[in-house]
Amino acid sequence: MTTTAMTAGDLSAPARPRLTRWLLRLHRPALCVWTALVLAAAALLLLLHGPLTDAAAEGWRQYNHCAFNASCTYDQKAILRYKDWYNYATLTVCALPFLVAAWAGGALIGRELESGTARLAWAQSSTPVRWLTVRLAVPAVAVTVGAGLLAWLHQLAWSAGQGRIDTAPQWYVLFTFHANGPTIVALTLAGLAAGALAGLLLRRTLPALGLALLLTGAVCVTTQALLPHLWPTLGRTGPGYFYSPSRSWQVSGGEIADQYHVTYHPYSHYWPLQLTTTALVLAMTALLTLACFLVLRRLTGKAAPR
Amino acid sequence: MTDTAIAASALGKQFGRRGGWALRDCTFRLPAGRVCAVVGPNGAGKSTLLALAAGLLGATEGELTVLGTTPAEARIRVGYVAQDKPLYPQLTVAETLQMGADLNPERWDAAAAEGIVAAGDLNPKSKVRSLSGGQRTRVALALALGKRPELLLLDEPMADLDPLARHELMGTLMVQAAQHGTTIAMSSHVVAELEDSCDHLLLIGGGRVRLAGEIDDLLAAHTRVSTTADADLAPHTVVESRTTGRQLSALVRPSGPLPDDWRTGSPSLEELVLAHLRNPEAPALTPAEAAV
Repeated sequence: MTTTAMTAGDLSAPARPRLTRWLLRLHRPALCVWTALVLAAAALLLLLHGPLTDAAAEGWRQYNHCAFNASCTYDQKAILRYKDWYNYATLTVCALPFLVAAWAGGALIGRELESGTARLAWAQSSTPVRWLTVRLAVPAVAVTVGAGLLAWLHQLAWSAGQGRIDTAPQWYVLFTFHANGPTIVALTLAGLAAGALAGLLLRRTLPALGLALLLTGAVCVTTQALLPHLWPTLGRTGPGYFYSPSRSWQVSGGEIADQYHVTYHPYSHYWPLQLTTTALVLAMTALLTLACFLVLRRLTGKAAPR
Repeated sequence: MTDTAIAASALGKQFGRRGGWALRDCTFRLPAGRVCAVVGPNGAGKSTLLALAAGLLGATEGELTVLGTTPAEARIRVGYVAQDKPLYPQLTVAETLQMGADLNPERWDAAAAEGIVAAGDLNPKSKVRSLSGGQRTRVALALALGKRPELLLLDEPMADLDPLARHELMGTLMVQAAQHGTTIAMSSHVVAELEDSCDHLLLIGGGRVRLAGEIDDLLAAHTRVSTTADADLAPHTVVESRTTGRQLSALVRPSGPLPDDWRTGSPSLEELVLAHLRNPEAPALTPAEAAV
């Protein structure tokens, strides 16, 4: 009946449907935008790391040299330029989870289910489970590479300013903390899974986009609430009001019976906090992914074991 | 290959936990190699039934066997074209067929798919989003037939086509069915559209199977009678009866010889379908009853 196809199939191992190729073809514009965004942000971070930091550091050196000499001049523009561009870069990196969530909920899953093309894909020689697996795995690779690169460059740019620019943000400042390390990669992956779940639940582009953003926001808020407690804090007690040591992140402070008490994370807790937070976010991502497959099974009936 | 393409028993599908039942208590058997018309009014559950058979929806209750296995297992051997003919608008016609080849590597028949597209005078380089409804139908059918399915499920396949293209594509489908023994189930709410090409009928109304079987058997099982108004139609099963003056005309399923003084005639398929749809209380005729 299918002679040509049969002989070709007998000679080699059975050919697998090439889902990845067509996912990349269908979402080529998104891949181009993602690449352009990562490259632009990377260029900005390299600029920050080099010339912008150097100019601002020179500005601060001049300023500190002036002491109380009123007629002294210093390069204030360079300092402000550094501050602005640093904020733009950090916010761009921290927006990645939301961008990816909106795309995943709207374009990757929601639109396919709304227009019925998901059924077209399922009616080929593959299964819905494979369809969703490819749709999550391929973007996950792109997201990990892109967000990982930006986090590493951000860490470089941030380190370059430490000790040289007096107003450079501390390691524990919300956006800086996440943009500096693997947590942003985990959060972006969580955004992808949240978007996919929103798309599968609502099956319409715009509502899915909205729910994707809400779910990602919920993941971020939960993470931020738990973050200080993911590693044991250090404490200090003494008479009178005092601060936690310099460069440390004060978590709580208060007076009990004439004794003032603070708890804090010293800078040495940076990596433990980064890694435990990343693990927490990845665990939430795994739950969201599991939920995606459960919803898909509810949509399509019991999956074939293929 | 089994001799049964689709077998359903007490099949039901409910949308949402408290939603209505799109299908309920559906029991029927579609033998392999048949061309089956799935007929019913809008919203009768035709699309739901086809999507269930294509393994794209999970049934809420009951059993559904497709090509001797579960719908999900059979999916690789089943072709399906949804009612709105979804295609990726950003791809060209040629890319869409290439996608079919890549996603069905063990089964793809490029010549068959390209033949259907070529017959429609379509430029392979035009984007799917620029196509007319009929042209999209043609590409969607090419994609489904290129898979060389053993069972082809078509939801309202001819709705967007002009009469010429309808005739031509129906011919292509019949050739496919004859050459490869493909079972075809296609839905429509227009009976006349399918009457010439189909040999099997599945009439669905209100989410239930009203008639199922070979069209010839179904027609033979029914008789149009006209007699005097005081005649007693028992013990025959009455599908529909109407009294005009002293005249009684009815569509009955005779359960024995009819009296000689009744005038009888055989109904057309359309009359049969309409009579059942107009009278939801009329008893259904499905394989269990038909297999006597």
